[in-house]
Amino acid sequence: MLWFREGLYQSLKTLTPQEEFSPSPGLTPGRPAPTAMEDAALGAICPTHALQEQERLVEIDYARCIQCHFCHQRTPGMNWEAGYHWAEMKSPGLPAPFRHSLQVRVIDAGDCGACLNEIHQLASPVYSLHRFGISFTPAPRDADVLMVTGPVTVSIKEALEEAFGAVPEPKRVMAIGTCALSGGIFASSFAVAGPVDQVIPVDIEIPGCPPPPLAILDGCRLIMGVRSKYPIKEG
Amino acid sequence: MVGFLIFLVLSIMACVLVFVVPNGWVTHVSSMMGSLAAIALLYSAIASLFFRSWFLNLWRLRGWGQLVMGEPHLSAFFVMVTGLVFLPVSWYSPEYLRRLQHHYNLRYFAVIYHSLTIAIILTFLAQDVVSFLLVWEIMSISSYLAVNFEHLDERHTHEGYIMLGASEAGFLVILGGWLPLIAASHSIDFSAIQAASLHYLAPRLGWVVMLCSFFGFGVKAGLFPSMSWLPRAHPAAPAIFSALLSGVILNLGIYGIIEINGVLWPIHQPSQGLVIIAVGSVTALIGILYATTENHLKRMLAHSSIENMGLIAVALGAAFTFRAAHFPDLAWIAGIAALYQILNHSLYKSLLFLGAGAIDLGAGDLEMDHLGGLGRRMPWTALVMLAGVMAISALPPFNGFISEWLIIQSLLRSVVLKLPIYQVIFALSGVIVALTAGLAATAFIKLYGMVFLGRGRSHASQNAKEVGLGPKGAMGALAVICLILGVTPTYIVRALSPLAAKLGGGGTLRGLVPSFFSPQQLPLALSQAFKPLGAETGRHLLPGPGLVFLYQSPGPSSHVVFASSPSYLAIAMVAFLGLLYLMVKVLKRHRKVVHNEPWQGGVRQLPVDAHYTATGFSNPIVVTFRAILRPSQPAEQEKFLASHFHTAVRRDVRESYVMDRLVFYPASKAVVRISGVLARIHHGKINVYIVYAFVTLLVVVSLSLWVLP
Amino acid sequence: MNYENWLKNILDRHSAIPVTIERDWIRVTVSPNLLPELVGALTHDWIFAGIVPENDPGIQAVRLLYVFYAQHGPWVGIEVSNHDQSVPTVSALLFAADWQEREMEDLFDVHFEGHPQLGDFVLHDDHWPEGTAPMRRHSWEIHPKATEPQDLSMPRIVEAPGSFVMPVGPVYSGTAESIQFHLETVGEEIVFAHIRPFYKYRAVEKILEGQEPSVALLIAERIDGLTAFAHSLALAQALETLADTPVPPRAKLLRVFWAEFERIRSHIHVLAGILESTGLSVPANLMQALEENLLQVSGVSAGHRYLFGLNKLGGLSRDWSHAEIQTIVHQLGTVVQQSQRISDALAFDNSFLDRLESVGVLNRDLAISHGLVGPVARASGVNRDLRAWQEYAAYDQITFGIPVQSEGDGYARFRQLCQEIDQSYGIIQQIPPLLSPETPMASGVRITETGTAFGYVESPSGAIICGVSVNGQGMIERSRVVTPGLVNWHAFPQAVRHFAFQDFPIILATFGLSVADLDR
Repeated sequence: MLWFREGLYQSLKTLTPQEEFSPSPGLTPGRPAPTAMEDAALGAICPTHALQEQERLVEIDYARCIQCHFCHQRTPGMNWEAGYHWAEMKSPGLPAPFRHSLQVRVIDAGDCGACLNEIHQLASPVYSLHRFGISFTPAPRDADVLMVTGPVTVSIKEALEEAFGAVPEPKRVMAIGTCALSGGIFASSFAVAGPVDQVIPVDIEIPGCPPPPLAILDGCRLIMGVRSKYPIKEG
Repeated sequence: MVGFLIFLVLSIMACVLVFVVPNGWVTHVSSMMGSLAAIALLYSAIASLFFRSWFLNLWRLRGWGQLVMGEPHLSAFFVMVTGLVFLPVSWYSPEYLRRLQHHYNLRYFAVIYHSLTIAIILTFLAQDVVSFLLVWEIMSISSYLAVNFEHLDERHTHEGYIMLGASEAGFLVILGGWLPLIAASHSIDFSAIQAASLHYLAPRLGWVVMLCSFFGFGVKAGLFPSMSWLPRAHPAAPAIFSALLSGVILNLGIYGIIEINGVLWPIHQPSQGLVIIAVGSVTALIGILYATTENHLKRMLAHSSIENMGLIAVALGAAFTFRAAHFPDLAWIAGIAALYQILNHSLYKSLLFLGAGAIDLGAGDLEMDHLGGLGRRMPWTALVMLAGVMAISALPPFNGFISEWLIIQSLLRSVVLKLPIYQVIFALSGVIVALTAGLAATAFIKLYGMVFLGRGRSHASQNAKEVGLGPKGAMGALAVICLILGVTPTYIVRALSPLAAKLGGGGTLRGLVPSFFSPQQLPLALSQAFKPLGAETGRHLLPGPGLVFLYQSPGPSSHVVFASSPSYLAIAMVAFLGLLYLMVKVLKRHRKVVHNEPWQGGVRQLPVDAHYTATGFSNPIVVTFRAILRPSQPAEQEKFLASHFHTAVRRDVRESYVMDRLVFYPASKAVVRISGVLARIHHGKINVYIVYAFVTLLVVVSLSLWVLP
Repeated sequence: MNYENWLKNILDRHSAIPVTIERDWIRVTVSPNLLPELVGALTHDWIFAGIVPENDPGIQAVRLLYVFYAQHGPWVGIEVSNHDQSVPTVSALLFAADWQEREMEDLFDVHFEGHPQLGDFVLHDDHWPEGTAPMRRHSWEIHPKATEPQDLSMPRIVEAPGSFVMPVGPVYSGTAESIQFHLETVGEEIVFAHIRPFYKYRAVEKILEGQEPSVALLIAERIDGLTAFAHSLALAQALETLADTPVPPRAKLLRVFWAEFERIRSHIHVLAGILESTGLSVPANLMQALEENLLQVSGVSAGHRYLFGLNKLGGLSRDWSHAEIQTIVHQLGTVVQQSQRISDALAFDNSFLDRLESVGVLNRDLAISHGLVGPVARASGVNRDLRAWQEYAAYDQITFGIPVQSEGDGYARFRQLCQEIDQSYGIIQQIPPLLSPETPMASGVRITETGTAFGYVESPSGAIICGVSVNGQGMIERSRVVTPGLVNWHAFPQAVRHFAFQDFPIILATFGLSVADLDR
């Protein structure tokens, strides 16, 4: 079979800017949003203690939220926001030469497979991260960004440190997923050495369980400093 | 002649002196006398090669003829090569011998060494059949003693005997080549034989002489089919003798082939040259295949010597073919290539063997799977071995590149030969030579990478020690000569030109090395195109011919067939490297350089087990050439615990050398079987023997009655 | 059935063995020295499910249950009281128990007499001292030791001149999960392969302890994100058995619906991986786009792209109208049709077939001795499928055949996946007519009694067996999840032996193994 021809016959699969602008629930599951309400039981509902009530306002610690819908399902008034601009920068992005090219090394530090698969989906025609000049590299020596997923287990900690040491400056570390930010649901495990920022410095955090591919892509573009150029509503 | 006499006196003096001086001085006295003798030898050779060759009539044997000794051009060339090897080997020996002094009497070593050098030189200088055969025998026996010097090891003696046996078998075949020559010329004198060859044209005799001399001397040179003694003898011999064995003694075989087929009884039929080419290419291919897959350092170098001898034979064959086909220019080029290759091989191979000896001294092991990381422990050895490895892999700016390039170029000239079969053989051997060159690079990358780079694979190699001043100087000198021969080849070609002209039956230096870019020799357009590029630079400064190899096809529509300038290439390489260095220096000025451990997949420290081995490196070649190297699949034995748990997977690799497997084992089996049959009729009973005698008498009588009239 | 004969045999010979009937399984209590004999008698007709730990109520210690099940038969747990922490190994009789025993040794410090390779498995020795036994302690008592730099330990069993180890991982390749391979070789071919797993061991079974069931489901689905629904279903079914609460028929059917949906998505994921490993980027990208398609469908319909949070104790957390169900079936149909189009074309693609055919062969004997599960086992000719053999959820209302291949090579595994996609779509098509609208989507579940129960699910990659015991407050006391990864990774080194290095990633892809599933 002529696969090249077959590929051409398929219609364009990549998301249009319109689809990215108002993402369907299939592209992003959304997450709980701060809600003005008073419910003493709300704190106990959350299995990862991500809800904090302060002066009649329920705040959400997104580094802990695993989007289990418990608060949403059990408390009808709880707000739920769509969108995917979840990335949070802790340090400035990479310098200008990286605007058109970013090499990414992914480190699985105890991931359940979902975050990793969402990263992997970025390479699919639907998200096509290559159009932004981003590509995955197997060697940390060539990488500019380390994407770390999972709660960092004791056994993988050393490999993570090695990989961080092997990435040349300037480099950025992207912690992807709730597990990487706080340990998530595995935070209490004895085999978990702690969230990523306890092992190596983290520059950008992308919460979510798992964060949808668009959120990760958004984070990459933040690091590259090109997000404002793209017609997307700021999160 | 003076130089030769000084050499003789010094060498004999050395043999005597070592018994006089105290124990601690033996090696130094021997070394000093050896180096002086080598210098005398070089003086003698250069005088004969460039000024006047000498001949000395010794006494006359009644009924046989005149015994002659002399140093014509060919002998002088080989003597020069020998001197170039002797000199550094002499410097090298004292430190190397120190480790043997507790087990062996080094006085005998000195005697063997010096008598071996005398025998080798006399073999080159003998100018009549009888004295040649005589000194040849002396040389065979003393080289056996040399290889078997560490005789306390039973294996060494065994390998020494195999070498001696091969040498003697070769001697008998050589005899078969000499006898027709003596019969045809009624003389044992080389000059008389040469004179007879001019008007004696019997093709059948020519074939007998050529086949006997080529295959007979081929045994000594390590050519197909009798090269299996060589990889056995080398590991047994001390490094010094290994260097001599590869750098000098193999040349004796080549010398014999050239002497008979090129000088005394020149080949008249192109097909005889083709036989030499074919045998040479097969030798080269087998040699390099084994060199690539062998993991014992010295054995690997021995296989590589076989390969180089094959290349020399290919070049010689090409020279003889072109000469017989009346293309003296091309014969001259091929002859230059052959002589250059002989010179180069002697130099870089003795460098590599001395380096192997240094590794043996420093790390105490020669198995590549156990070595590694010696570059940091033995930096000088690593540097000179890098030069040797580059030279033997035919990489510019070292000497191996030029001779291999000339060989391939002369093979490509086969288009001028009319018969398609000639062209096919030339083209095939060209392909084989190219493949050989590629595999040689692989083999020596393996050698260098496995021995000097990475981490030490054994305790010994992790604690290796650098060798002392003598070996350092010896190896350094050889490396420098290799570099010089690679950078100034046009001068060397000029020096070799008269000899090559004698071999090729014509040809001039101008055919390959034009004097710079003179318009008389080159098309005007070409010469003018090159001038602005600076091709004339140094014309008035540099003596001698130009710095460019350039061959033009003869005839009216003359065009450049091939051209190259290793000298300019070397200058450009130096310039580019210097520029690169400066650029890096400038660019790095304001940058921080971070040194980091290599990335190992997230593992902090990998054990030595995870190091690529020499076996692993050459495994793809073993797989590809399985039919030649290892036709039987390695048997795998698995061990289990409780029928499921693997506890061991064992693979025994049994290898037999391809020539042993195909020729010598079946032959020796056949001999044993025939002797078994013969032994059955030898009962020792007198009456049976009487019957035999009676039957024989009957047969003879009836034959004489019926057949003879 | 033969299990009756077996029980009778046992009781005839050893009259003192107590046999109790638990909720849905038979408990046979033996002393350690009788264990090999009993296990040996079971190996031929019964399937080994795993070793499940259980708290011994009498003396606050752990005892082991060797769990077996039969085709359409009951479940048997052979209880071994190992108060002296020593039990004879059964791995020699039942090689499938090898890794399970190694795991138990590391986690519970149970010594399996006669096992040749104990230690340094789940807990890497350079971080955890031998005898840590984390499952016997409180989690605040467990601390990794400080590591000093030392050489990575590598097992060597190949004895050949010049052999060496090619280490791969733990961090390797693009988005590969962390695991390490030690490939012993002499250069070109893999002579023997060792796996060093558990780089991402998160101790799921430990953190499940003391959890209430609803949170436990959240943890279970994060064992392996790509087969999350199957994992939470296995745990939910075990807990529902313990609560003795029937699940409403509509929820049962829809659980089958989503389980099969997940199977199709997971299989397409594996197919995309195979295509990627063979370097056919156009079909690989098309396949991956199909996977993304299904992820979006589940995002829209189930509220989560990986079906997290969908299972709920007693049913499902959502409900769908008939039209919604029809839409999902329709979208699924399009995807299945397109994936079939690609795989049909691949059957005629020589460059693809050359890399899969006769590559990574795992014959039927090896598949049986390793106790393989899932598509990998069925591709090697072992017809083993919990959906048909144990008919959990609503599989008893559905008719389906089980595709089986015989060659056991990479191409057989590829074909198996393609045929299972068809089979799953066939099952899904049967479900909408069976749904009755009025029944509730979930029943309230309260666990009040102590006990142990098993939940079993044929996940996309094979059987998940979940053994759970609860205490009186309805909290989980001990749990054990035997995942398909734990079983199938065990056999993977056998499939790569004698193949060249370039075949390794392809063979790995055809197994469709998840490291998270193994490491837990």
